Amino acid sequence: MAYWEPIRELDEGYLVQPGSTMRDITDEISRVSENRAPLGWWACFLVAVTFAGIFCLSVGYLFYRGVGVWGNTSPVYWAWDITNFVWWVGIGHAGTLISAILFIFRQRWRTAINRFAEAMTLFAVICALIFPGIHVGRVWVIYWMFPLPNQMTIWPNFKSPLIWDLFAVGTYFTVSLLFWYTGLIPDLATLRDRSLTKWRQRVYGFLALGWRGSNRHWQNYERAYLILAAISTPLVLSVHSVVSMDFATSVIPGWHTTIFPPYFVAGAIFSGFAMVETVLLIARSVFKLHRVVLMRHLELMNKFLLFTSMLVGYAYAMEFFIAWYSGNEYEMAHFLKNRPTGPFWWAWAWMVGCNVVVPQLYWFKRLRTSIPVMFVVSILINIGMWFERFVIIVSSLNRDFLPSSWGYYRPTIVDVGTFTGTLGIFFTLFLLFMRWLPMVAIAEVKGTMPQADPHRHVEGERERAPVAAKVGLAAESGLVPEGAE
Amino acid sequence: MSKRAPYPWEAWETSETAAAEFPKGHVTTPPSDETLQLSRRGLLGAMAATMALAGAEGCRRPLERVVPYTKMPEDVVPGVPSHYASVFQRRGDALGILVESHEGRPTKIEGNDMHPSSIGGADLIAQAMVLDLYDPERSTTPRKAAAPASWGDFENELSAKLSAYDKDQSQGSRLRVLMQPTLSPTALRMRAALAQRFPKARVHTWSAVSDSNVREGARLAFGQPVNTLYGYERARVILSLDSDFLQTESGNVRANKTFAAGRRLRSPRDPMSRLYVVEPARTTTGNSADHRLRLPASQVERYACALALELAKKGIGLGDLQAPVAKQASAEGIPGKWLTAVASDLVANRGRALIVVGSRQPPTLHALAHLLNDKLGAVGTAMAYTPVADGDELEAASDLKALTDAIAANMVDALVILGGNPAYDAPADLAFADHLAKVPLSVHASLHVDETSTRCTWHVPRAHELEAWGDARSIDGTVSIQQPLIAPLYGGRSDIELFALMAGAPDKSGHDAVKNTAQTMLLEARGWTACGAFDQTGKAECRDSAGNPVFAQFADVERQWNRALATGISQRPQGPMPGPTLRSSEISAAIDKRRAPAPVGPTSLEVTFAPCPKMVDGRHANNTWLQEMPDPITKLVWDNAAILSQATAKQLGVQNKDVVSIALGPRSIRAGVWVVPGQADHSIALTLGWGRTKAGRIGDRRGFDVYPLRTSDALGFAVGAQLTKTADSPYFFAQTQENDSTEGRPIAHEASLAVYRQKPNFAELDSPPPRALPLWNQQDYSKGHQWGMTVDLNSCTGCSACVIACMAENNVPVVGKLEVWRGREMHWLRVDRYYVDRPEAGATADEPVTIHEPLMCVHCEEAPCENVCPVNATTHGPEGLNEMAYNRCIGTRYCANNCPYKVRRFNYLNWHNDSVWKETGGLPETLSMQQNPNVTVRFRGVMEKCTYCVQRIQSAKIRAKREQRDVRDGEIRTACQQTCPADAIVFGDINDPSSTVTRLTRGDRRFALLGEVGTRPRTTHLAKVRNLNPEMA
Repeated sequence: MAYWEPIRELDEGYLVQPGSTMRDITDEISRVSENRAPLGWWACFLVAVTFAGIFCLSVGYLFYRGVGVWGNTSPVYWAWDITNFVWWVGIGHAGTLISAILFIFRQRWRTAINRFAEAMTLFAVICALIFPGIHVGRVWVIYWMFPLPNQMTIWPNFKSPLIWDLFAVGTYFTVSLLFWYTGLIPDLATLRDRSLTKWRQRVYGFLALGWRGSNRHWQNYERAYLILAAISTPLVLSVHSVVSMDFATSVIPGWHTTIFPPYFVAGAIFSGFAMVETVLLIARSVFKLHRVVLMRHLELMNKFLLFTSMLVGYAYAMEFFIAWYSGNEYEMAHFLKNRPTGPFWWAWAWMVGCNVVVPQLYWFKRLRTSIPVMFVVSILINIGMWFERFVIIVSSLNRDFLPSSWGYYRPTIVDVGTFTGTLGIFFTLFLLFMRWLPMVAIAEVKGTMPQADPHRHVEGERERAPVAAKVGLAAESGLVPEGAE
Repeated sequence: MSKRAPYPWEAWETSETAAAEFPKGHVTTPPSDETLQLSRRGLLGAMAATMALAGAEGCRRPLERVVPYTKMPEDVVPGVPSHYASVFQRRGDALGILVESHEGRPTKIEGNDMHPSSIGGADLIAQAMVLDLYDPERSTTPRKAAAPASWGDFENELSAKLSAYDKDQSQGSRLRVLMQPTLSPTALRMRAALAQRFPKARVHTWSAVSDSNVREGARLAFGQPVNTLYGYERARVILSLDSDFLQTESGNVRANKTFAAGRRLRSPRDPMSRLYVVEPARTTTGNSADHRLRLPASQVERYACALALELAKKGIGLGDLQAPVAKQASAEGIPGKWLTAVASDLVANRGRALIVVGSRQPPTLHALAHLLNDKLGAVGTAMAYTPVADGDELEAASDLKALTDAIAANMVDALVILGGNPAYDAPADLAFADHLAKVPLSVHASLHVDETSTRCTWHVPRAHELEAWGDARSIDGTVSIQQPLIAPLYGGRSDIELFALMAGAPDKSGHDAVKNTAQTMLLEARGWTACGAFDQTGKAECRDSAGNPVFAQFADVERQWNRALATGISQRPQGPMPGPTLRSSEISAAIDKRRAPAPVGPTSLEVTFAPCPKMVDGRHANNTWLQEMPDPITKLVWDNAAILSQATAKQLGVQNKDVVSIALGPRSIRAGVWVVPGQADHSIALTLGWGRTKAGRIGDRRGFDVYPLRTSDALGFAVGAQLTKTADSPYFFAQTQENDSTEGRPIAHEASLAVYRQKPNFAELDSPPPRALPLWNQQDYSKGHQWGMTVDLNSCTGCSACVIACMAENNVPVVGKLEVWRGREMHWLRVDRYYVDRPEAGATADEPVTIHEPLMCVHCEEAPCENVCPVNATTHGPEGLNEMAYNRCIGTRYCANNCPYKVRRFNYLNWHNDSVWKETGGLPETLSMQQNPNVTVRFRGVMEKCTYCVQRIQSAKIRAKREQRDVRDGEIRTACQQTCPADAIVFGDINDPSSTVTRLTRGDRRFALLGEVGTRPRTTHLAKVRNLNPEMA
């Protein structure tokens, strides 16, 4: 049995719509950057750019007056800023997971979504890195975080989890960028070769780094890709573990928790998958990618979401249990009292509702294969995961040890502007990516097709004629039986 | 030193040849002139100083000679502050102070150790006075009908008027002066001089907050007004009848000092006084009480009478007062033990029992207390009587009424108002403001162009106490000189100078007048009178008591004057008065005439008026420090409120922040409601001094003006008010502490004296042990100085003087009401106030006991803030200080998140410029003159917190090093410690086994706040002990 053939006993389906030729794939993906952008793209782009503009205004005002334009206060010294940071870093997790870990485990279904996920990782990490950069009181000396030699011989404090954070997220960004770019090279060469104008030739030619598709190129490419995947794999676990140390190494009840590293990683993967799904669903309908992004992929993702939702739910339950089991007065007051019934009970309710209750819908096949349901659920999960970070950060800080210092937190319009502004930046970058770069890994998708199997002809099967026209793009082809043509 | 050839790599200077080239003495000649000692750096410094002095005409140094306190340098050394003794007149008492001056700018006020009313302590008003001096909105020029005019114009117009009186033989009968009660011998002398020139002119006194009832009580009891000097340190049992003697009454600093001394526990065997407080509204005194009874103010007198009867049963004979007291007494609704147990406690401690009455209670109650104190044997042991400064002062309201009546009868042609703000704070029924408009020539001397100034024909700027010469007699008779620290910033003149102008006295300058008074008093103390002027040989002829001529030496008198300036004391008290005799028949008659108070209920509420602990009568309304200081009870900032009890609020259907209308007869006000547990039912507590309209940018329209309800017959309290909820949206209040309960956490330990004696280390036993092991290698804390602090919750009354002292010392910014509401107040030191439901102390949900817990950075040895800072901006110093390098801070705020005490403060904005003074384009220049040059002014984006006043530590270490000795225990006092009138804060070296702080940290009541987190705080607290009477249980 060939590797591209689905194993019926496992209820597998084809990864690419059967009957597609390699040319179909190349055409379908490349034409996005070659044709005029559809109106839908322009509409999305204008909205996204508007929000990116709001971001610039908000941050300009923030720099002009100081962090006080946000709602951060005493005792809630971190609020939306770090909530957004952790949320974005979490979203940035799915990319590496899908690309690297699934690659190493030879999960070939990843090919439809891995480029997306990697790009999303990059843009999410860019949005994430904005926050630690702008949230400090004196942005003009932010470079003191880096271990730069100086005549005062003062180094950063390597005991500080913020420094660990800087290195962890910085490394993650660098490796993710390399990984993404390495994967892009053969596809950039494809775009270059199809270019009809001088500028396209030059730009794509430059970006393709002289790729000619020789055997040696492919050999080096595959080797490099594998090595980068191996480097990235531990990062999936390390980045969010280190981010969680910002909280876990502190003394504040609600932060000082040993469960945080795995809990954060699970949450990150959860939110990352949800965000990939949201973006993918939009791209799939705007650019008509039904040939490569099959219902089968989406259903697999939904199953994965259900699984990670239960991991996260377990972590929530375990926090409660450990708080009670520890007998620590402050822990109990925080987890058993402040979180569910304190002033931020509604945030806690959003968190549990969206992250634990809503994904349970995916036990039902009908729901997990319904596009509208999964679109709404993926957004709800994103909201729920934002509230998870909000609950961890704000509701832990607002009531800590001494009741005299307790205080409420209220965001300002600038908080809202900064956060929605990073959404604008994220989608702006994403839309530009979709417009100008191959958003699905052409070479890799081709590798999952029957035509890529060198033994196919030996087995005596005739090359099937192109059948795309017969089947129709709208058919959710994962469900089409093999002999349907 | 052995002689050997130098190695080639050694510097040639060390060799023998070099020594020959520069023979001994060539370079190191003992300098004959000081300049030779100067290094290059020092020489440049001296040159710079010379240049600075060359331009010194611009400096605002007083022209008269002032003598600094003790450590006077030869001249002003830049960077080295000088300290000058001075005095602040406060109502009923004068507070001796020391003013720190940096190059001619007064920056900080401390108590004067030598002054008996201060004993080194100060209160929050005294601390904040320095900011009043620099208030940028003070009046800058005389004004005639609101238009700027000159002092010359004013003098011409006034003297034209006055000389007309001289000519028309009216003897000034149409001239009136309205002043505030004064303690100044010179002002009184000037008043006499005015009376000499215009025998028929009348001087009235009015102050919205005065001791008038106290005086009238004494007049009733003794036939003459006397001061009562309470010795709280000698009393064993104190009963306060609506007296907030620890905060808002006269002599509060002295009371705090002595009260704390009578309750200081160094060991379980130490004696401790017991305080009973009967009061309508929570005060710091009531919070410090061992037993507190909440009772409407109008019922305190009937309680006192019932108690007097109970005392009579136990052998304290009331004599002919028995019948009238029995007539007034009513024990209805008063717990029986508050009569029997309190009476037996008072009787059992005869001679050491003290009854103190609040100044808003009627004179009859004061007289009754004088009688009871006498019968209990307190006089001479726990209290003493001293002569008053001004024996001619009349009852406040009637004196002011005499003035308004005279104006109404068209008998006033010229009215000079010295200070005060009667158009704002006069009793509502006198309609003073309307009367004022009828006076043809009215003059108001005040710091601001305020409500009164705008209604007068003339306004003239009045000098601040730190700008003018003066003097004041404190409650025990000590006379102190008020020295100006700076020439008047806006050309203001003092009351003394204005009096002199009116009286045509020869001493035109305040300095001469004050010096004259002091010298006369000095010579009078020797029994010499009728002194002439000094002749050329420096002698002045006087008459001694026998009428023989004696000669006063100029040098001698000058020396005494200089000493008075240096020590702040010009005349020591003469000792207590020989016991004034009680006039029991008059007291009896007066009590007999008292009408029973109207009953209070939900439709006939009581309103009580109390001076605001911050604004007093409204005079400090434009002071940002005071505006932003949390009220000791409610923790409200930038506002006052109508305070109700929980039960009454429920009954009337109102809650916190509701805007209500309070009507009393034809008058009514609007106010926001705040519910305070422990407030007497059916009594509304109102604080004076808010709702100003012409105070300035800071003070205008803050809080609620309650003066419209206050009438001349009910200055203290009134019964019969109605409260109705208005339809207004909830009022926007801001609090610094929004949670009142300890949530049952072991964070503010307290026990009864009995428990303490059984289990002296109860606080330690109740504190969970540290659960976390140190993360990093332990530092060695056994060497060198190791600074530490203790805060004694047993002494702390929550008065909050430390909060202002810290702001003044450390340039702590003010953020404004909105930002406080957000939670961004910057106070390095806060006083947490918890209501604790402690049944063994008789506390209930309606009346919890209160505990105040001052908290600033505790300088953890295992500081959670330090290891999370990414840039090493907060680190541990070798002397145990948790240090903040502002320059290095990038403002991640992680340290503050990780601080379990939440004592770190963040500059979210550039507070100095971008908060309350934003509209003026930043902090006014005058206000920056107040700032302490030894403390960095923090910019936005930087974290800050208590430094243990590191600048004081460093300067003491430098001084010690220069004098080649160790730093002495007690030499370094942090700003909060220095001002604390209860000596609750002790700072020192915990490596020094003999230091006070070491003894206290090893003492029994010590506990480490949140020690279970593993922080090992350097500041530890000493648990509170309440001396509960078992019979009250």
